[in-house]
This record gives sequence, C-alpha cells and structure tokens, in this order.
Amino acid sequence: MQSQSRLPANPSRTGAKGFGSLIKWREKMIVCVAVVGHQNNPLYVQSFTDADDALKLHHIVHCSLDVVDERVNNPKKSGPTLNETFLGMLYPTENYKVYGYLTNTKVKFVLVTTDLDVRDADVRNFFRRFHAAYVDAVSNPFHVPGKKITSKTFAERVSNIVKSFGLSSAG
Amino acid sequence: MEEYPEELRTPPVALTALVGCPELHAPITAHLHAEQPPINALALPDFSKISLFARVTKESPAPGRSINGILKRDWLSKHRTKIPAVVAALFSSDHVSGDPAQWLQVCTDLENLKGVIKGRNIRLVVVVVTQTSSKDDISSEDRMTSLRKRAEIDSKYIIVFTPNDPLELKQSLNRLRNTLAELANTYYRDEGRQIKARLEKKNLSSVELQIRYSFKVAVFAEFRRDWAEALRLYEEAYHVLREMVGTSTRLPPIQRLVEIKTVAEQLHFKISTLLLHGGKIAEAIMWFHRHIDTYWSLVGEPDVSFLHWEWLSRQYLVFAELLESSSAAVQNVSSAALSTSDKLTEFEFSSAYYYQSAAQYLKEKSSCLELALSISVNSRELDENEESAIPAAYVGQFVKLLERGESLTTQPLTDEEFVHHSLAEGKRFQDSFEIIALFKKSFEMYSNNKTLRMASYCGLQMGKEYFTLNEFNEAKQIFENVTNLYRKEGWVTLLWEVLGYLRECSRRIGSMKDFVEHSLEMAALPVSANASDNAFKDSGPAGPPSLPQRQMIHKEVFGVVRGEVGFSSNEDKDELRVTDGHPLYLEIDLVSPLRIVLLASVAFHEQVVKPGVSTMVTLSLLTQLPLNVEIDQLEIQFNQSECNFIIVNGQRPQLAAISNVQPGRRVETAPSLEIITNKWLRLTYEIKSEQSGKLECIYVIARIGPHFTICCRAESPASMNDLPLWKFEDRVEAIPIKDPGLAFSGQKAIQVEEPDPQVDLILGSSGPALVGENFIVPVTITSKGHSVHSGELKINLVDTRGGGLLSPREVEPFSADNLHVELVAISGQDSQDQSDASSEGIKKIQPSFGLISVPILNEGESWSCKLEIKWNRPKPVMLYVSLGYTPHISEATSQKVHVHKSLQIEGKSAVTISHSYMLPFRWDPLLPSMAKATKDPDPSPILPLKETSILIVHAKNSTEVPLRLLSMSLETEKDGACTVRQKDEELKEPALIVPGEEFKKIFHVIPEVNLPKLSVGTVLLRCKRDWGHGEQQSGSSCCKATEVLTKQRLPDVSVESPPVIITLVCPPHAILGNPFTYSIKIMNKTHLLQEIKYSLADSQSFVLSGPHNDTISVLPKSEQVLSFKLVPLVSGVQHLPRVTVNSVRYSAVFHPSIAASTIFIFPSRPDFKITDRAESRVESVVVE
Repeated sequence: MQSQSRLPANPSRTGAKGFGSLIKWREKMIVCVAVVGHQNNPLYVQSFTDADDALKLHHIVHCSLDVVDERVNNPKKSGPTLNETFLGMLYPTENYKVYGYLTNTKVKFVLVTTDLDVRDADVRNFFRRFHAAYVDAVSNPFHVPGKKITSKTFAERVSNIVKSFGLSSAG
Repeated sequence: MEEYPEELRTPPVALTALVGCPELHAPITAHLHAEQPPINALALPDFSKISLFARVTKESPAPGRSINGILKRDWLSKHRTKIPAVVAALFSSDHVSGDPAQWLQVCTDLENLKGVIKGRNIRLVVVVVTQTSSKDDISSEDRMTSLRKRAEIDSKYIIVFTPNDPLELKQSLNRLRNTLAELANTYYRDEGRQIKARLEKKNLSSVELQIRYSFKVAVFAEFRRDWAEALRLYEEAYHVLREMVGTSTRLPPIQRLVEIKTVAEQLHFKISTLLLHGGKIAEAIMWFHRHIDTYWSLVGEPDVSFLHWEWLSRQYLVFAELLESSSAAVQNVSSAALSTSDKLTEFEFSSAYYYQSAAQYLKEKSSCLELALSISVNSRELDENEESAIPAAYVGQFVKLLERGESLTTQPLTDEEFVHHSLAEGKRFQDSFEIIALFKKSFEMYSNNKTLRMASYCGLQMGKEYFTLNEFNEAKQIFENVTNLYRKEGWVTLLWEVLGYLRECSRRIGSMKDFVEHSLEMAALPVSANASDNAFKDSGPAGPPSLPQRQMIHKEVFGVVRGEVGFSSNEDKDELRVTDGHPLYLEIDLVSPLRIVLLASVAFHEQVVKPGVSTMVTLSLLTQLPLNVEIDQLEIQFNQSECNFIIVNGQRPQLAAISNVQPGRRVETAPSLEIITNKWLRLTYEIKSEQSGKLECIYVIARIGPHFTICCRAESPASMNDLPLWKFEDRVEAIPIKDPGLAFSGQKAIQVEEPDPQVDLILGSSGPALVGENFIVPVTITSKGHSVHSGELKINLVDTRGGGLLSPREVEPFSADNLHVELVAISGQDSQDQSDASSEGIKKIQPSFGLISVPILNEGESWSCKLEIKWNRPKPVMLYVSLGYTPHISEATSQKVHVHKSLQIEGKSAVTISHSYMLPFRWDPLLPSMAKATKDPDPSPILPLKETSILIVHAKNSTEVPLRLLSMSLETEKDGACTVRQKDEELKEPALIVPGEEFKKIFHVIPEVNLPKLSVGTVLLRCKRDWGHGEQQSGSSCCKATEVLTKQRLPDVSVESPPVIITLVCPPHAILGNPFTYSIKIMNKTHLLQEIKYSLADSQSFVLSGPHNDTISVLPKSEQVLSFKLVPLVSGVQHLPRVTVNSVRYSAVFHPSIAASTIFIFPSRPDFKITDRAESRVESVVVE
C-alpha cells in the first residue's frame, strides 16, 4: 500500500454532532476495562462513559473473549515469546478498539478504547500498571480467588490509571 | 453486491463484433467465449447494422462549460456491450472472387464499415470464408490484394477461414481468435493511452474530469487485464474524489455528498475486487478500513443521515460478500495473511464480522429513517408525488422527470425535493427482515467457527429485531439459545437483558410458566448494586439491572403466583390467573438455572441406621430472591414413600389445611417457613424407616399460595455444587447445616441396615489341603434365636491373589480338567435332607460356585453339610460361604438376613519328588560327550548304553501333616527302550513320612536303545494322610483319608554307547603288610584298536609293583587288565596310588574319584562275624 493512501483525517465533524448514538466525539479515552476469570466470567467490569452504553460495552468485552480464546488456542508461530502476556488488539468494532492481556494465571484483562490511533506502547504500559493493581487487589487476604473484585481501592486505582492513559505520550 | 450493475460486478471482457456470413457466427462466438481469456462478440447478421457503432455526434465539452457529473452511468456498459474493440468483417470467397457485381458489393460494404469504425478507432479484421482449402484460384489472389488495400490493413489481418474441414476450422478459429485478441488489446491500449495523455496534461478544467479519465483508463487497463495499472488508476481516482468533498459546489450540498459517496463506492468496489482477486486479502481489508474511516463521519444533513448509514451498511455488506467469495476460493489465505500482518485481527478476516457490521449500520439507518420520517411534517405527502425523481445520466445523481406534453424532460432536483424523494423511497422498504437476515448469516458463520460469543451477540440482535417486529415466538427461541452461554459464563448484566426480553416475550405469548420462571430467575440474579441506573438505560424491557428492579420483579411475580394479580398479555385482553383450573408447577433440578431461586439441601445426621430406629434429618432451604419468601407448605418425598412427610407453616394455619395431604401422612408444623435472602432455613426432624436398604430424599416440594408448587430436587450438602452466578459474588456463604462436619459430609441418603442375624455359620477347617485329594470342609448352621426359612447357602471359591473367580488361564478352554481348584460336591447331613433339598429344587454346583437350599430350622436347631473341594494344582483359595434366610415365614415381603463367612485354604502338593543317577562302584564307562561337556553347569545325565545305571528317587513330604506312603514305582514306557529293575511296588507296610522327611528308592536302569532322548518313565507315588492311631476309626466314618496319587514324569536322558569301560578291581579292605592286587580292567567295546596311555603315581602308603606308565593297545572287543601288586604300609583309610588312564583316540583322561580310590587298611586281620542279614533287607531304606 502506498503511504499516501492514508488520508488526512479531517472529517467535518461539525455536521456529525449529536446525531445517532453511533456518532460521538471521538474522544481519545478508555471507555471500559474488565477483568475476566478462568471460566470467562467477569470479575470486574467498569465503564468510564457518561453515556448509557454500559451494556454495549459489556457485550464488546464479552465478544472479545472469543478472540482471546482463539489467540490462546492458536498462538502465532511468529509470536514473540511463549510468555507474552500482551495479546494486542483483539478486534476493532464500530468506533472502539479492544485490547487484551492474559496473565500467567490465565486471568484476562480487556481494554476498550475510543482512541483509534492508540499506540501499542501506551496500551502495554496501561496493562502493566493495571496488572500491578490487580495483583495488589487479589493479594488482599480477604479476597477469595475467583470471586468478583469489589475492592474500592482497586476501583480507585484503576480509575486513576485510566485517567492517566496516554498522558505520558500526549503530543 | 447484486444491486450493482452487471458490468461493474464482473471483470471487463474484451468486446468484438462479427459482421456478415451469419451462419458462422454461432461457432465463432462460442469459441471466443470458451477460450481463456474469453472474448465477447457481437454478431451482426449483415452490414446494414453497422451503424450501431457510429459515433453519436456530440459537441466536445467546451473548456468553460461546467461538468455535470463525475461518471456517466452508461459509459461502462456501453463499452462492455455496445462498442466493440475489433470488427471482423466476414466475406464469402465466392463474393470476393465472384462476378464484378458481387465484388462491388464487397467493396461497398467494406467502405461503409470503414467509415463507421474510423470515428471510434475500432480495429478491422477481414475474414474471407472459403469453402475449399485449395488456393488454386488465381483471380482471388489479385482480389485479396486489392481487398487488403481497400481495407487498409496489414496482410496478417486478412484471415482465410475454412469452415468445412474440422481440422481447418479449428485452425481458422484459433487464428481468428488470436488476431482478435491482439487487436482488441491494441485498441484498449490506444484508447487508454489517449485518455491518459489528456489526464497527464494537467490542465483539466475540473477534478470531475480527472476522476472520470482515471476511471476510464483503469477500465481500459482492466480490459487488457493489466490489473496493476487498473488498481493504480482506480486508487488515484479515489483519492482525487476524496478531495472533492470539501471543495465541490456543483450540486446542492446533500446531493453533492450523495454523488461523491456513490462514486467512491464504485471505485472502492473495483479496488477491493482487484485486491482480493490478486489474493491480497490483508491489503484489501486495510483498504476497506481506510475507506470506512474516510467516509464514516461524512454523515451529511441530519434529515438524510439514514442515507449515510444505508451507504455504510452497503459498504460492509458488499465487502463481506466479496471476502466470502474470495476466501471460499482460497481457504488458507487467512492464516497466511494473519501471520504477515500483525495489524489486523482474526475477526477482520472473517466475513461474518462485516455482515454483522452491515446489519448494525442498517439498524442505525432504520432508526434514523424512522426519526426523519416522524420529524418530516408532510409525511403524508410523501406517498403522493412519487413520480418525482429518477436516476440521472451521471452516477449518483437524480433528476426530476417532467412530462411536457409528448416529450419528457429532466430537471435537476433541489435538496428539498431530493430529501423528499429519499424519504419516500426509504419508506417503501422494510429493513427489519434484511437486518435479521444479515445477523442470521453472521450468526451462522460465527457458530460454525465456534466463535460462540460473537454468535450469541448476533443472536441477541436478531432476537431484538424479531421483538420489535412483534414476532415473539421467534424472538423467544433465539433469546433462549443465547441465555445458555451467558448463564454458563456468568455475565449477569447480559443475562439480565436477555431474560428481560424473554420475560416480555412470554408475557406477550401468554406463557405463564415461562413468565414466572424468567421473572424468578431475574429476581434472583446477582446484579451488582453499584451499577448506576443511568449507564444501563438501554437494557431493554427489563429495565436497568439493579436491586430495586429485582425487588419490583419479585413482587410482581409473587403477586401472580399467589393468584392475587392477573397476568395479562397485551395481545388479548383476557387475564390469565393462577387458579384451580390453571395451577402452576415448576421443577428445579440440579442443572436448572432456578437453583438460585430455591435450593434444597437434605442431610441425614447418620450414615447408617438400623431399621425401626429413628434418626435425624435436616432440611435446609436457600434463596437468592431479594425479598423474603413465605412458604405455606413443604413436602419431603423419599424413595420409600411411607417416610414422606409434610411441614406446614404454623403462621398460616388457614393455608395449612390446603390440599394434597393424604390421609395417614405425617404432618409437622413449623413455627415459620419464611426464607430470607441468602440465609439458610434449617429444619430438623426425626425419621424412621422399617425397611432395610437405601432411604433417599428425592424431592422437596414447596407450595406457595393455593395453586403454585415448586418441586425442588434434594441435594446432598457433601456433593452440592456452588450456586451458578452467585459463586462469583463476594457474599457471605453459610453452610447448610450448623454442624460443619455434617455440612461437608452429609448425604441425602442413608443406608438402612438389615436386622442382625441370629444364626451361626461355622466352617470347620482342617489344615491345608493336598493336591489331588477331595478336601472336605464341614459347614454347620446353628439357629440361635431366628428360625431359618427359605434359607440358601451360597458357596464361592475365589482366587486369593486376583480376587476374581477361580478360572483357568485365559487361553485354556474352559473345562473341568484345567481348573486349578474345583468344588466337587456338597453333601447334606443325611439322605432325607438331600431328598428334601432336591425336591425343593435348589442345588447347583459349578466348579467355583455352589448353591444349596437349607431346610427349615427352628430356633435352637442346627444343620450341617460338607463341601468337597478338589485341588488340581497347589494354590491358596478363599472360600466364601453365605447364608441368606428370612426369619419369619409369615411375612413374604420381609427382609432377608445374610450371614457371611470366609476361610482361606492352602492347597499343597503332598510330596516333592526328585531323583539322581549314579554309576556302579569303581566302574566307569568313557562317555566322550560327557568328557567334552564338562563345562556345562547342569548337564543332562548321560547313561551308558546297555550298561546298568542306578536311579535314586527321593520323595519329600512338603506338607505340614504326616503322610503315609503306600507305594512308589517307576512306570516305564511300553516301547522297551529302557529296562528298569525294581523291587515290588507295594511296601510291606505303609511308610510314615513326617513333615520334611525324605523317602528314597533305588532303581536299576539299563538303556536298551541308543536314542538321543530316552524316556525313563514316570514315578507313581501313592500316599495318604496319616490320621494317627486315635483318629483312625472316626476318620473312617467322617474324614476318610483318600489316597493321593502323585505322578511325576522323569526327565529324558541321553544315551551313549561307551567305547571304553574302565573297571577298578580292588578288595574292599586290606591288612597292613599283606599284599593285594589292584587291577585296572580296560575294556574296548569298539571295533577299533584303542591306544591307551596310563600312569600310576607313587604313594607313601603303599609299596607298589608293576609298570608306572606305558602305552598299550587294546584289541577290539577285548579286555586288557593292568595288574599291580600293593603292600599297604600305613593303616586306616588310605588313598590308593593315583591312576591316570588316557584314551588317545578320544583324548579323554580318566581319574578315578576319591571315593573309588579309597581303601581301608586294617592294622591286623579283623575278626568278622558273618551273618546273612543283608540278604533279607529291603533295598529301600529310610534315612534321616
């Protein structure tokens, strides 16, 4: 493909505002993060939108598990290493991108973002911090493994990580 | 994709035309079409039709004039179907070489044709059709030349076509085809080049022209099958078009955008087709994404936003179809492409993803259209003036068609009119079925790929669409499929949504049971309390998943099941109610999703109980419903129905009287039967069973209200699964029973034991059994409180090692001979009993199993029988004897009581037999093979032929009981190969052998035949147990010792005829100082002269006379004696001088054994008292 075919992205958004639920300002932000357990059961799903699309985000996270399964079952031969936890982009949907991460204990992290030009490095960084937060949360002696994560500290920490997403590389 | 015109969808095929000689057109067109690449041909029967190709005169666009559109609608189809690249003019050779009139006609036609095609640069081929292949016609040669000149073509474009001969025809066709292909290629190249030149001048008046020219060049390149060039120009056109978006002002804004999008769609379609055709799937997908990204946000005016979504949906649909058809062709491309491009994900290679998106955007279009229609004021007028717009001459434009009297004229539309027209068009179509079809397609593809979650999502969308269409039955079916996955994986919010739809569907259909089930499940779902209502607004009819909503549903459904509230479906006004006529019955089993609504755990406090003794049973109920539930009545059902009982709610006495209480049933009253959310309701009652066996709680049936029943399968706390969905919640988990031990081990079943037997079963054992004897085990049954009725005695012999029944090795066929141990007989106490038993009919004996009926025994009586068991091989065996009886004759149904006894019995061989061979004293045959094989550690014995050898047979008592040996004999083979001399077989009196003792008997064996393997015979040994003197009499009556015959075949021996026999002759003893003769007899048994070397060593004990060493020859069949005179010098046991005899022929050396060369020297003549006792003694002796 020629490089020039990448068209300048300057859609006339003025006309697009407010019409149809699909059209929203494509803000560069994380709209949903999720922790999914061994039986593909949700352990923690949190959306970060003001809109009423939480259910839709749940659907997106759920569907993305299909890709995780496929990646895990048919690992790419040219894949970097066996222990790579970052699964990369799972699939693009209408106006979201979904990224996945698989811990060594086979717990899945899913990230849904509206930033269509997000950089892999940012996502990796996000997952790394998120993983650390998760590990701290489940290391709590009062947490029962396999149950939903209800810790408020965890929620706060995740919220901070989400807010700071992409800031380091802004510009 | 179907809505695109044919010429756009299919790759361009070069077009040619045939004129004249219509009879040949059919084979030519068929041939052109069949070859690769195909060529289409227009067949014009005669030259008058050629004006079709004529260029319509039109003024070329003046530089200043504005361009009306981007692409002309009919341009492509014109080149595909109307304007040929090459015209083949077919003339008959008769006409060419015929009379001047015909020739003139040919020339005129050619001129006309030339005139027409010149304007379009169409190439010309002249085909002369001859009937014969011979070219003898000279005049035609001239005519041909002039024809060529008139046609102004190269001579290679004049083709002679010979249709008559098949071979010639084929050649002619190929020639024509190649020429046509070549010329068509030139034509398209030149046309393309010409337009390209215009394009490259860069002074084009408008971008529209730039796009149009690029498109045309690309199409011509496609005609030439130059895909790369075509792709490049399509892309260029596409990019130029994109730049038009902000700049063009030619049309009113809405239509402007519509036109651009329509053209972009066409260009993109071409690009995708080319990329996919070239196998560049990843590139095609990336191109598609860019295409979508570019236009995604170009929604346009809000009034017609639905047009945008429709357009977008079409992009996805078309791409999905392209991808599907191309990936069907190349199956494994996706995996290959996957590895190359990391940017793309798995889904993007599956067309299902695009179908799904197409459906999604179509749905969006549908909703936008609805909105637009509702806003539009004059929606009614929409239907009235439909004539208004038709597609214009340019792609993506519409014009108004006006009738002005006879003539029709067109007029550009204003945007208002266009919107009006679009709305009217949009109204005519029902999108829902299209949406469902797309989702269904995607659903099926995902399902086939085992991409279940995506499939579920598509299914859900499909169900929702059916729901909006009020097709509740279809919707319900689809939703029900979807719920399974969400339940399994615990996605509660998603499940909530689906259940909400299902509940609504059930309500609309009027299915009360489903409505109640779904409502109950929803009410019991663990939806997170912290989810803000706002975020889940679009959760369908269920409302947001929240605790208040659950409580609302709970209240509603319990109103319905108690019959207090009616249940009305919207469709008919009749209210359904839970009443007498319509009771409601729900069943909850171990896998039901309703386990979260009511979970019943039942545990007995003990594992075993005696019949008639009461034990405790605890019933625990748990619910996750958000509000407390009051149960009116509980019924506990067991597999023994007489144990069933009912618990009524003490607080609702009026309801406690409700039905279903069978007379005589146990009824308990509980102070309260209210179940609190996530809190076990525990009820403990006594229970007593009279019947032995298993007592298991099966159902716990809860009745709420007069007509509502929940039948809940009882579960054991020990093996209870976690609650589905709730197991992931962070909640307080209590154990069903207060006692934690019971909570982890309690079972819903209890074993009710048999009553204790009051009968003794005694197995009399008497030591180990001997192999071969009929071993007798006496069995005695003594009643000690129970009388025995219909008693049965079962006997089993079981291998102690394997545990399996005693059987021969698998490979051996089943026969009694092969059994190691068998049960031979069961004898009763006396003949009367036996006749009783046989008349009652039960007496079965099999080798390892026996069944015998026991007569009726009253209290205190006893009965006995004997089991005869025979061992064929030594083996330990377990004997199991079990007695089953009923204590009371009156109760036919009463329980059987069983008594079991077992006994391990060792089976042993009575004696072990071994043997050895010896030679006579001081008599040594030379056996050459023995001499050679001295190294062999275990040589098989070799006996000298026709000479006496001595066989000693040892019999050792290997049991722990004393035996009496009756006889021992050697049974020889009948062939007389071997003579055995033995004393009489029968012993004069049976020899007593105590355990560990050995009995020996000597036999003389003379092999008569020289065989390599000589069978000596079989040892027969008869013996019996020695019961001692005290038991002799009783033994004869009860335990008559049977004789045991043991047979053992002796191993074969080798026989060899000795060539030389050496005998040492020497007196048995000597006296000090008295000389005696020591002679060595060497006997040559062969027919040959034997050279013998011998030597005699000196000895200090003797004075020796005779030769020390020498070599002598022994004549055939004769004997040589070497004699020495010896005088003993020392008394006592002395060794004779050592003799060495060496047979040179056999190179064998003989040394006499120590025993053979030992002699006792008396100091003086002893005084012997000779008696003759030795003569009378039996040769067999018993030694310690």
